Amino acid sequence: MNTPSATPNAPRDTAITQAKNPVAAHPITSAAIFVLVAASICCTLIVPIYAHITPKVGDFPFFYFYLLAYMPLVAIALWIANLLQRRLATPADSSDSDAEVAR
Amino acid sequence: MSNVNTVVFTIVLVLFVVVTVVGFLSARWRRPPVMAQLNEWGLAGRGFGTFITWFLLGGDLYTAYTFIAVPALVFGSGSIGFFAVSYTIMAYPIAFIFLPRLWSVCRVHDWVTPGDFIRGRYGSRGLALAMAFTGILALMPYIALQLVGIQSVLTVMGVNASSTNTYVKDLPLFIAFLVLAIFTYVSGLRAPAAIAFIKDTLIYVFVLVAVFYIPTRLGGWGHIFGATQTHFAAINPVTKAANGTFIPTTKSTGSTQFDFATLALGSAMALFVYPHIITGTLASKRRSTIKRNMSLLPMYSVLLGLIALFGYMAVADPVTAANVKKAGNTQLAVPYLFQHMFPSWFTGIAFAGIIIGALVPAAIMAIAAANLFTRNIFKEFFKPDASPALETRMSQWASLVVKFGALVFAVELPHTFSINLQLLGGVWILQIFPMLVGGLYTRWFHRWALLTGWAAGMIYGTLAAYNVKNATTSHWAASSDIVFGHSIYIGITAIIINVVIAVVLTVILKAARVPEGTDETLPHQYTADPKDAPAPVPAGVGVQLEG
Repeated sequence: MNTPSATPNAPRDTAITQAKNPVAAHPITSAAIFVLVAASICCTLIVPIYAHITPKVGDFPFFYFYLLAYMPLVAIALWIANLLQRRLATPADSSDSDAEVAR
Repeated sequence: MSNVNTVVFTIVLVLFVVVTVVGFLSARWRRPPVMAQLNEWGLAGRGFGTFITWFLLGGDLYTAYTFIAVPALVFGSGSIGFFAVSYTIMAYPIAFIFLPRLWSVCRVHDWVTPGDFIRGRYGSRGLALAMAFTGILALMPYIALQLVGIQSVLTVMGVNASSTNTYVKDLPLFIAFLVLAIFTYVSGLRAPAAIAFIKDTLIYVFVLVAVFYIPTRLGGWGHIFGATQTHFAAINPVTKAANGTFIPTTKSTGSTQFDFATLALGSAMALFVYPHIITGTLASKRRSTIKRNMSLLPMYSVLLGLIALFGYMAVADPVTAANVKKAGNTQLAVPYLFQHMFPSWFTGIAFAGIIIGALVPAAIMAIAAANLFTRNIFKEFFKPDASPALETRMSQWASLVVKFGALVFAVELPHTFSINLQLLGGVWILQIFPMLVGGLYTRWFHRWALLTGWAAGMIYGTLAAYNVKNATTSHWAASSDIVFGHSIYIGITAIIINVVIAVVLTVILKAARVPEGTDETLPHQYTADPKDAPAPVPAGVGVQLEG
């Protein structure tokens, strides 16, 4: 588990408020996450971008090359988004705070 | 049974027996003190880490749909079949957005099914019932698709008994299915999780070997794409139209780009709403497990892209193409291709991989449907004081019933277009997207508005799908429909109708101050990440908070 370890007795109110607005606290990181995720979806949703035979890459028409090359890129984009999200979570609102207690 | 290849048959049989043994033994894997709990039977103790979850979800997501139906569509119609590649790309970023929230809130409340969440979020038994009903209904054709996949392999192996009676002809299929039903009953989610390791290993081996080896036999990728392009551009003498499309087109007649995009988007939105995928998700230990897997699972999509290309290899190989044409069933494209290209022993491994690849998701689907029935129908409406042991027993039996329901789908619906079975399930399951995913972010929607929108989407989607016909089939022929001159996936049209009605009615019902129901969840629970598995809870956890 790579999540930062908990401060076991973090005041529960802090945990709740911080969980609420990590976006406001880190606008650039949040925007980067948004762009990564949105681009991953849109660049395959908008078919005219890649529905072409040329340019061929090796023997592969562009359409087929694009779809195959896309998947590793999505994996990388989501990995980065995941790392960035972890940065949003400050140690105090660490994931280990037991929600049952906070309730 | 005269033309059965002994080597192929033996290898498939041996691997099937191995899988069966693993299926039964897996009941002892991570054995809990008390097995008779839905958290144990149905979610394998909610203790899977990143590694096992990767295999489990991979086994869950990539099914006979991937190995048989997608290449069959590619073989038959060309580039439109690659919507499946686009769909499995899109599914992960979409799930990355909402799935961790669903995991967290279900973990905090110890909820087992998506219906439990709906019930707790909206305080509405009716909405949870709608969710359970839709989930079970949508899983039926999806399980049926797994059967059709197994059937295709058995047909090419030649093990079908020579009889015209469907039930006698498919006896081997039923036997395989019965074995699956029994080990699911005994071991619950542990069985598919353990078997997924065998499945994925077999599949990775045969796909990678096939992708590098077959093109060398067929004169390289250049030849494969060249032959395919010529084939799909040719005019079919019967239909007087081109055989298919090599690249999605924009021309208004048979415009496939819009169809391609809506099929991909609809399927992607539907994927992580399917109860069996949620079951696989909830079985994982931590929130980070889910997130990490969203970037690890696209590895399988690469595989799917390569498997889709098998459809083109089958087009480019004259012997396979002739075999498929003679049989009149495009589902046989991949099995025939392997049979023609590979030595018997390797064909056996590949066939076993496909069969096991259909059994794993079928087991998880049956478990998910059974959990929905137990938690959101049986316990909710018939036996609110059911003990965990009774719940588990109920789920075990329900998993058997669900499988036989799927058999009916497999026998009754046309098989020649198997990908449609999954798309039909998608049309239905998409209708719970607003209440489930919407509910993860907002309580703005009114429960009755969601219910009405759901009903409208279900009715429209079912009627529209029922009315699609083609040259050979009068009903349920496809899942795309012409709307405003565009060919579009019915699921997308239906969900738009659904959301519009939900929004309009919410405004009206809020103005009329109709009671909105109690919400058991708190905002921070959607981002919570409890470290330890929830303690065993007495019966009725979802019920006691009801106001």
